[in-house]
Amino acid sequence: MAQSYMNQILHIELSRGSFNAFEPPAWMFDDYLGGKGWGARMLLDIVPEKADPLGPENALMFLTGPLTATLAPAMRACVVTKSPLTNTFLDSYFGGYFGPEIKYAGYDALIFTGKSPDPVFLQIDHNGPGLVPAHDIWGQDAIKSNQSIKAKLGDDNFKIATIGPAGENQVPFALICCETNRQAGRGGAGAVMGSKNLKAIALKGNKLVKIHDHKKFNLALSRANKEIYDSLDCQGLMATGTAGSVEFANETGLIPSRNFSDGTSPLAAKLGDKGQSQKLWLSRSACFGCPIACSQMGAVRTGRYASFVTDIVEYETAAMLGTNLEIGDPRAVAHLNRLCDELGVDTISAGACISFAFEAAEKGLIESKDDLKLEFGNAKAAADLIEMIAFGKGHLGRLLSQGVKRAAQELGPEAEHLAIHVKGMEMPAWGPRGTPGMGLAYMTADRGACHQRGFPAGYESTGMEWKGKPVKALELEGKAELVFSLQNYLAGTDCLVKCDFGAMGVSPETYALLLNAATGSDIQASFFDELGERIWNVTRIFNLREGMDIRDERLPQRFVEEPLPSGPHKGHHITEDDMKYLLKDYYQIRGWDENGSPSLETLQRTGVRLEKKFKL
Amino acid sequence: MEQTKPQVFIRTHFDLCTGCALCKTACSMHVFGGYNPNKGMLIIRHLWENLAHIPVVCQQCRNAMCMKVCPVKAIYRDEQTQAVVIDQKKCISCRLCSQYCPLGVIHRDLETQKAYKCDLCQGNPQCVQVCPFGALELGQENRQSGE
Repeated sequence: MAQSYMNQILHIELSRGSFNAFEPPAWMFDDYLGGKGWGARMLLDIVPEKADPLGPENALMFLTGPLTATLAPAMRACVVTKSPLTNTFLDSYFGGYFGPEIKYAGYDALIFTGKSPDPVFLQIDHNGPGLVPAHDIWGQDAIKSNQSIKAKLGDDNFKIATIGPAGENQVPFALICCETNRQAGRGGAGAVMGSKNLKAIALKGNKLVKIHDHKKFNLALSRANKEIYDSLDCQGLMATGTAGSVEFANETGLIPSRNFSDGTSPLAAKLGDKGQSQKLWLSRSACFGCPIACSQMGAVRTGRYASFVTDIVEYETAAMLGTNLEIGDPRAVAHLNRLCDELGVDTISAGACISFAFEAAEKGLIESKDDLKLEFGNAKAAADLIEMIAFGKGHLGRLLSQGVKRAAQELGPEAEHLAIHVKGMEMPAWGPRGTPGMGLAYMTADRGACHQRGFPAGYESTGMEWKGKPVKALELEGKAELVFSLQNYLAGTDCLVKCDFGAMGVSPETYALLLNAATGSDIQASFFDELGERIWNVTRIFNLREGMDIRDERLPQRFVEEPLPSGPHKGHHITEDDMKYLLKDYYQIRGWDENGSPSLETLQRTGVRLEKKFKL
Repeated sequence: MEQTKPQVFIRTHFDLCTGCALCKTACSMHVFGGYNPNKGMLIIRHLWENLAHIPVVCQQCRNAMCMKVCPVKAIYRDEQTQAVVIDQKKCISCRLCSQYCPLGVIHRDLETQKAYKCDLCQGNPQCVQVCPFGALELGQENRQSGE
């Protein structure tokens, strides 16, 4: 197929330890492009209906895009699998150096099925793929095991993805830590990896990624890089990374505080870019091929949390393990972040589980002890809980390690009120009570509560224009169309696989130019919206098949029943009627029936051709 | 011997390096016609879990040991750029040059088995062109040759 692809997928059947490299069918390139598109379609076609996400029949897929591993700025890769946390579709994106190495190893995708009888890691180098025993590495944390494999192979140049103890113990929100410290964080891909006894993947490739038309590609590169440099959003990220969002979210009343009880926090100033730069930051680091370089590296130099290196405390982590827990010291939050990274736990889900526990203890639903005081502001208790979750230690560790949905079900109806999730996926750090469009994005996101499948809050909290009109925060009308459009474009460009931050600068037209020059295709910018809509229908079919229904498409009780206590949207909440209105409008725009099921006409219009089947 | 022509070389500033590998990737395209930073002519040493990134480029040594150890004189100083260049046609893949490069910037290509090193892209190094942060810059100086 076209130039910048490797035209090879590697299937690793772990039960037998066999490898099969094959060329993908032409329609996968034309209809689904790469990354999320390939992953959504492959998952639907490969994984049997109602498969156990932690069973051998679930597929774990690492996917690149046609621009990954080129000089196109800010490209990534992704993991797609069936989520053990939600039992539905999961895609999780990561930067760093691991994604490009998949292509340099000669593949567009790696697909794992089966389950290895013993712990192993996959090694691919110029001699081809092999499975290496990993008994001695099993049990090590995600960062240490990366170092151990490099020492074992005698080569620092391998790019490695690892799970930590949480993945080994199959915690449903365990992450995969990709070279270096870039997390495929959400929804439990690390647990799927652990369920297969796959500790790590180590890659070092010597294949070249070619370009169809060099002259046009270089022109498109110049254009893309200029758009990034000219973008105020990208400039902000260059200066502060996502830590710059902390004070913004606080000012707009979107930041979680005390288990999402409130939308503002006096601790925000300490945890944002000013607090972090003062206490932590020393230098900058970039993912492969990225001129934004949004990662601020640092160290906790002295004191209780002294540690040699810290990565930036991203907005989501600063909020979920910070303001949401009423922990205001950036050094303490950096420590909790590091603990999650080492143990291999998603910081967003961990934060929601801990705040759930703190509030449940406050209400007498969980017992608080002298040696484990479950109270907001207690960083030591938070650290202990993270450890207990990763190892499923004790009754409380086992309870919380299931995620807030299952924990609340176990504790009873009063606890349901404190479980902040959609479809089992814990809520990320943008509270929607003042931004109903964001509420709709959460209700409908194909992997459960997710801020990255459409971010209308960016328009709602700033009054930014959409189609020539300023978006009004609290109005419901037009929000479904906004969410629909944002979702489609993001999904379409997640086939490239773009980083959302690069997309703040690079225009759809420039992505089209890059893609055409790299592959020889001839698409227009609108292709990404069309592709995205197709994918939204594919993931919808998968999710409905796996048991999701319309009753799952609702916001947590807190956002429906409790008015916001403070901030610019004080007094607001999203009512049952609001949710009904938004969903009805959204289903109509998507061409889905009253149960949220795509009609045959919609599938035909969007080009979902189910008669074709991807086969391993 | 005093050289009259200024010698081009690449100056590095590790404190500005973010480890993005655009330099190595652009280099591989120039030399091999495709992207793969593992085949680039320069190295980035990632230290302290990415707290620091140290770019290492060929210094186009005044006293080039690689040139001295080459048994078939495949390595010579380019007249135009004063870069120390390898003639792949003459190279017999003996690996002596990479053994005697203390910076580790001479690579043996796995496919051809030939030695490769930075030739400054004929005086217009692509790595310098693509570096977003100025961690690599072009330098010129009159330098005394040790030959």
